[in-house]
Amino acid sequence: MLAWSGRFLLQRGPGLISLRAAAESPAHSVFLYRTVKTTTWFDEHLTEDNQKFMRKSIAEEYRSQTAEKLNPLKDEPWPRHDWTEGSRRVGLVAVKLGMAPIWTKAGEKHVVTLLQVQDCHVIKHLSKEEFNGHTAALLVGGKNVSPFYRSEEHMEMFRNAGVPPKQKVTTFKVSDNAIIKPGTPLYAAHFRPGQYVDITAKSIGKGFQGVMKRYGFKGQPATHGSTKTHRRPGASGPGDAAKVFKGKKMPGMMGNISITAHGLKVWRVNTKYNVLYVNGSVPGHRNCVLKVRDTVLPNRKSSLHNPPFPTYFTEEEGDLEEDLYDENLFVQTEPSLNLT
Amino acid sequence: MAVCGIKLNKVMFSLSLLRNLRLRNERFVSTSLCRLSPEEEPPKFTPPSKPVIVDKTQTVASLRKFLSPEFIPPRQRTDPIKFSMERKDMIRRRKVVNLPEFYAGSILAVTMADPNATGKVNRFVGICIKRGGTGLGATFILRNIIDNQGVEICYDLYSPRIQNIEVLKLEKRLDDSLLYLRDALPDYSTVDPNIKPVPISPTGEVPVNEIKVRMRPKPWSKRWERPNFDIKGIRFDLSLSEEQMEHAQKWAQPWREYDMLKEYDTSKLEEQILSEVQLKMSK
Repeated sequence: MLAWSGRFLLQRGPGLISLRAAAESPAHSVFLYRTVKTTTWFDEHLTEDNQKFMRKSIAEEYRSQTAEKLNPLKDEPWPRHDWTEGSRRVGLVAVKLGMAPIWTKAGEKHVVTLLQVQDCHVIKHLSKEEFNGHTAALLVGGKNVSPFYRSEEHMEMFRNAGVPPKQKVTTFKVSDNAIIKPGTPLYAAHFRPGQYVDITAKSIGKGFQGVMKRYGFKGQPATHGSTKTHRRPGASGPGDAAKVFKGKKMPGMMGNISITAHGLKVWRVNTKYNVLYVNGSVPGHRNCVLKVRDTVLPNRKSSLHNPPFPTYFTEEEGDLEEDLYDENLFVQTEPSLNLT
Repeated sequence: MAVCGIKLNKVMFSLSLLRNLRLRNERFVSTSLCRLSPEEEPPKFTPPSKPVIVDKTQTVASLRKFLSPEFIPPRQRTDPIKFSMERKDMIRRRKVVNLPEFYAGSILAVTMADPNATGKVNRFVGICIKRGGTGLGATFILRNIIDNQGVEICYDLYSPRIQNIEVLKLEKRLDDSLLYLRDALPDYSTVDPNIKPVPISPTGEVPVNEIKVRMRPKPWSKRWERPNFDIKGIRFDLSLSEEQMEHAQKWAQPWREYDMLKEYDTSKLEEQILSEVQLKMSK
């Protein structure tokens, strides 16, 4: 077992990170990445001291990496351009926290979803030619995860950006004047209250479901003589065709597909904890990772006047208040409403 | 005698300084100052002999500790940061409007802004039958019978339309939820809108009204005799026979109290949240 993994190691020798090379004990080879698909875990063959050291060292590495990237404007940033009509800027990766009620100044109650932007960094820039020939793209990742259960190829792009590995990496199509240097952190203040966003996430998986739940078919009566047919799809198409058309609605896996909710208004932004309050409900379960970007809807584009372009930099725009509210939102520090 | 006066002033000044430095809440008996003779140097401050007379009639320890139930987060896999964000908003709202302590069974009067009412404000008096929801979406239902018609209104505790909540009578009942009043005789749900507010003491236990309610004849909106509701405030002997009561026990789930997966011990959470809330409210 040891010899086998050892052989693997020899073949991949140059792929090791120097940090990990320092950590390993000379007797055991590295088991820090799963090239061998057996049921071992990363620290099974390490001594106890080395296990603790690995965990600590990774945590320190993350902290130093985030600290380095805190001032993106100071270390050779890419040139910044101004916002023009028709330019598209990056989006963010956020985590769905939960939902809460809000009230407008007219006393109406609405529901909002809280989204927290956790450790969002730009990871890679793909130019027009590299990506699809028409638009440039930026790869953005959110929510740090452990490096131990990910392959070296996967880790490569994070290493190039100098950023801890992320749980979700998404592509944002971006106009050429909005490109950002890889490694820049992105914050919730990138979006402002009053603007509209589109949110994409994987919907909650329901497993294999029948046709009544999946497509809302009516089924058959429960009584009055129906024999063994209460939730079945019934007929499968017209008789003339003598076949079943492709795409016929039938039972199958429901949920766990990528769904986009368009045109959701941002009511409030908390800059201290990086939380966005977005109108209505959003696909996905609690604590799922989602992709947030400016709306694509033409009727809501006017709300995006003078956004932070290409993104919000803490040093430059400096001290925003802790909470930014939409003008119609009732703030809890105001006195009660007198509706007249 | 002018010298005596000056020295006395110095003594009094230093003593008052020391007094201010040591404690703010307690007041010392000040007659001892006059007994110092003028020739002596101001003596080193000696603390007064016990017992110290404390003026306050209530110490902080004797005040009744109450944490509103919507502060306690439900048993879910939610990030605690979501609850802390909500709690901040709840505390901000509580600093503007007083949301008092009340329970199911207390009589409340709520004034709410209403664009369709005369004077733009409407006041409703009723008995609280249920407190539901957590966080900012906490609600309570007030019930009253007006002109022989039962009326229930469900209010959002943190709604900005609520201008004032007044507790006219603070008391508890034998149950947390009095939804069975819908099937009880109307006398038990009628509350006089001009009832005089009963003074509430901030110390001591909340009085428990051990009234057992008489019900209208069956059918009821829910089968209140069943053990899953666990109702103690109904006089079942007047509306149900013993056989019916025994039959209701068929739906008992005696294993529920031993189910460890359903345990949710909130005592530590409650203490922590209570101290946090009290701290922020006092700022």
